[in-house]
Amino acid sequence: MTKERIHDQTTRVIEALIFASDVPITAAQLHQYCEEAAPSKIRKAVNALNLEYTQQDRSFHIIEVAGGYQMVTREAYASWIRKLFHKRLRSRLTQAALETLSVIAFRQPVSRPEIAAIRGVNCDAVIKTLLERKLITLSGRGEGPGKPLLYKTTREFLRYFGINSIQDLPRPREIEELLKEDEDRPDDAIE
Amino acid sequence: MPEQWQKKEGYTVSLPNFEGPLDLLLYLIRKEEIDIVDIPIASITSQYLEYVELMKELDLEVAGEFILMAATLIQIKVRMLLPKTEPDGDEESEDPRAELIRQLLEYKRFKEVAETLNEKEDRQRRYFARCDFAWAKQYIPKEETASFDRGFMNDISLFDLLTAFKTVLDNAPRVTSHQLSAIGVTVQDQINYILGMLEKENRIPFHIMMTDLQDRLTIIVTFMAILELIRTKRLHVQQAGTFGDIWLIKQ
Repeated sequence: MTKERIHDQTTRVIEALIFASDVPITAAQLHQYCEEAAPSKIRKAVNALNLEYTQQDRSFHIIEVAGGYQMVTREAYASWIRKLFHKRLRSRLTQAALETLSVIAFRQPVSRPEIAAIRGVNCDAVIKTLLERKLITLSGRGEGPGKPLLYKTTREFLRYFGINSIQDLPRPREIEELLKEDEDRPDDAIE
Repeated sequence: MPEQWQKKEGYTVSLPNFEGPLDLLLYLIRKEEIDIVDIPIASITSQYLEYVELMKELDLEVAGEFILMAATLIQIKVRMLLPKTEPDGDEESEDPRAELIRQLLEYKRFKEVAETLNEKEDRQRRYFARCDFAWAKQYIPKEETASFDRGFMNDISLFDLLTAFKTVLDNAPRVTSHQLSAIGVTVQDQINYILGMLEKENRIPFHIMMTDLQDRLTIIVTFMAILELIRTKRLHVQQAGTFGDIWLIKQ
């Protein structure tokens, strides 16, 4: 394989900015900090960089996440990095947290009572955790009785799940669809 | 007791971790291969009640919502038994199960999304970016030299420690297993565990020490171990400012 070196200065600036940023950096930001980094050029530059990393067998690469670019270590090195972080890694989300996030993602802005009604359980503790982990945030007050606080998902939510927008998630299936699946199931009782 | 709870590992009984009454109902419906729009209320109600009883027996916290749902199920069961009398209104009387079924289906939609999120989380947790390092950093003393002079670290009272302990216990994952006849860990085990942790770090925030502990029992035993280590002066405890993080420091 011919290993072409990247000589383009702008590509290197883009690389430096992505490397230095601690959160995903958007194309607009890259352009703002580096005039030559025209939005149309950025993706090409990132692809060239990723190709270079692959050719050089680097332990990291650039991913597109939460509407921006971010340098991350490759999956293959996860076990060593976990050791580095030792006890400091964030714990995985609980089933309750994931369900609550699902409701917020597709119903936002949404209030606690609405979430609790869908899940059938109180979700105060879960909301607190999600706020602390910055996966959700307040988005004003609703119209209903007591003007309940409303919640929405954050950019950190997108980053955490490795997606660019809520549209990247499969929409909740419609109830009709759920029922259809139920009917389609082979029924043992019928001879 | 349903068979699947009798775990292979001897004394431990594993309970599926039901997030709420709807979760338990969906589980029963799936287990019994029941048509969700034609739930046999009588049998589902009795199974549901059995599970709730068992949760109580195992000392699991049974949330109020579980009891409320039990009442709802019984109410539906009674209404199904009553002869269908047309109320004086001209509306046809609705299937008493309709509201429950609607609720179950609505919940199921989002439960499916949660499964997708779970897969995505799993994949994403194998990538590490600089913000992950930044997050981890806040648990490393900021300036190794400055922050640990006695100036702004206060010695703390047992009450502060108990408050921190209660927070950990309150935030502990809901118990999914219950030790029936033997306690899995001993105070001595946990003393060794704590000393092992402090071998590497010298000082660790209290709540970090307590993360990753699987259940309440282990948390309680670990706390007893901390008290023992303080008593025997092998461990020193300090707090960063009033109500700040509590640090466990090797003596």
